[in-house]
Amino acid sequence: MTALLAPAGTTEMAFAAIDEGADVIYVGPLGWSRRPYESEMTDDEIRTVIDYAGARGKQVRVVFNTFPSPFEMDGFLDKARRFDAWGVSGFIVTDPGAIALFRRMFPHLVLHVSIGSGVTNAWDAQFYRALGADVIILPYRWGEEEIAQTRAASDIGLEVFLFETVQTGKICPGKCIMSSYLKFRDWQEIEGKDYFYGSANRGAKECYRVCQTKWDFGVADEPPAPLKLRRDARLMLEQLPRFVDLGVECFKLSGRERPTAMIRDLVRFYRKVLDGIESGAARDMALHADELAALQARWVSEKRKRVDTLMTRAAGLRSDAPWIASA
Amino acid sequence: MFELSTNVATPKQLRQGDYSAYDALYLGDFSCPDYPKNFSADPDLLAGGVDTVKSQGKKCYLRLYAVPSNHDLPWVRKVAEKALSLPFDAFEVHNLGLLLMLREMGCNKPIHLGVFGNLYTDATARLVKDYGVTRVYPNPELSLKEAIYIRDHTPIEVLTPVHGKIPLVVSETCFIVEHSDKAVEGDCKFSCSQDHWLTRTKGEWSLKDTGRMTLSGSDLCMLEHVEELAAARLSAFYVQSHGEDVGYAARVGEIYRDALTRAFAGEPQGDLSSQLEALKGLAKMGLCNGYYYESAGRRYFGEN
Repeated sequence: MTALLAPAGTTEMAFAAIDEGADVIYVGPLGWSRRPYESEMTDDEIRTVIDYAGARGKQVRVVFNTFPSPFEMDGFLDKARRFDAWGVSGFIVTDPGAIALFRRMFPHLVLHVSIGSGVTNAWDAQFYRALGADVIILPYRWGEEEIAQTRAASDIGLEVFLFETVQTGKICPGKCIMSSYLKFRDWQEIEGKDYFYGSANRGAKECYRVCQTKWDFGVADEPPAPLKLRRDARLMLEQLPRFVDLGVECFKLSGRERPTAMIRDLVRFYRKVLDGIESGAARDMALHADELAALQARWVSEKRKRVDTLMTRAAGLRSDAPWIASA
Repeated sequence: MFELSTNVATPKQLRQGDYSAYDALYLGDFSCPDYPKNFSADPDLLAGGVDTVKSQGKKCYLRLYAVPSNHDLPWVRKVAEKALSLPFDAFEVHNLGLLLMLREMGCNKPIHLGVFGNLYTDATARLVKDYGVTRVYPNPELSLKEAIYIRDHTPIEVLTPVHGKIPLVVSETCFIVEHSDKAVEGDCKFSCSQDHWLTRTKGEWSLKDTGRMTLSGSDLCMLEHVEELAAARLSAFYVQSHGEDVGYAARVGEIYRDALTRAFAGEPQGDLSSQLEALKGLAKMGLCNGYYYESAGRRYFGEN
């Protein structure tokens, strides 16, 4: 039985994703989930979403995919206790130490290892399984061979993003701090924090997607070539039947920062595709190619808008801390 | 009193470089298994390398490949097996699967967690300590205060980079090869031997790219802060020299050896302007303080 995980950057998006057939939705608490505040939720909103999902037999995962500061671990754990008390079904976590702590604190909940943990091989899966993690998200570059090897090495649940496997470019989740080297912004009051621990990896200070804007690249004394550090991701389709056969249990849509209508249509589409594969009624993915192409065009368009927004924000930000005088 | 270390990728660099300022050397380029004669990728080079370093009275650590895929693990295991029979003082790993593998191999050597090991919390430091890790290289995003907190509350030794470009990204694929008209399938032609830069005029951004690793454009420089480091009882210092000319480690090491020796002896640093000028001369894109003082990594804050 496969599960479709859908993003919920807002309560509106959460309700839409649940209504369209997502099995699980994931939400980020303000300041703890690597997204700007407009794509995260207040605690009250998360409680509302937990209640809405529970009433419909669906599950909610709370995303704690920041690397917390050692100074804020108590607040981190307090947040998690609160969501547990409200009936959340599990957490998506990045920091290995936090995963181990969560396992001891919440033996009854589902723990996912986030893409930001930087898994690269099947032994990583064994390591996280030994910590008590239930599900591991697989790297963007992995195909059938790596999935089969990991399935053979560990009984940990396997989750993949609904993106095509990509072998080129700088695609390094969990192994990249470029954005914070170049720019950061201060916490905003709404995020509930007033201290510096500053980067996308560490909270609501968003990643500016600097890998997706244009750079000049080359040797010092030669004309540089304009390029992006990675190409646009494409939505996954053809691989799905084989991935299901190999034991992938969770398929994850990203896009908490996308428009709700886009997520609603994607959930509807992938619900239909996965149901067709599981029932055996529609394993020929060519049946869905035209519909996917239309969704892909919308996806890329929305993504470009998002990158432009982030780069505009980055351009308006300082690279220094306002309270420290520079030499 | 303190240890100053740097990195050496190949036997040639070990022969040609002057490492007299250093107490310890990390052998190998952890980012690229295709780098010619890389200690991290060739078990046949290890005995000669460790002998050379030990004959100079230094500690010798072996760096293991940072981002091993499933198909890399067999050769990485062979490198580790060979190194276990040699007098290396420690292994450096960046990958938790590899850390598990070393334990299952019965590794009896100390292990250092490398810069891409995602060490952000004392909770993680305690976790990896249970797997034999004795020294951690905190993620560069951490402030000095946070690194010191982790050291004290784990407790564990913390490696403190004091100079050199900051590792920002490591990838399983080579960006230079992907954009090279010289490289062909299976033969990269060692294109990374030339300096490659990523620049963006809008925002005045610059990064150095060595193919599988992207580094800060500016050089981290803590020369003006060595007294603070000594006062904080930090004791393991590191000069990052990956991707630099062979003379870089020698000159930088000499400057920091002098400064740290004075700081640990409680002597004043005096006028550092000539040393700073020398370091600026080695840095093509200027100096920075990384994230140590709670800012974006590329800023530089002087004492004054």
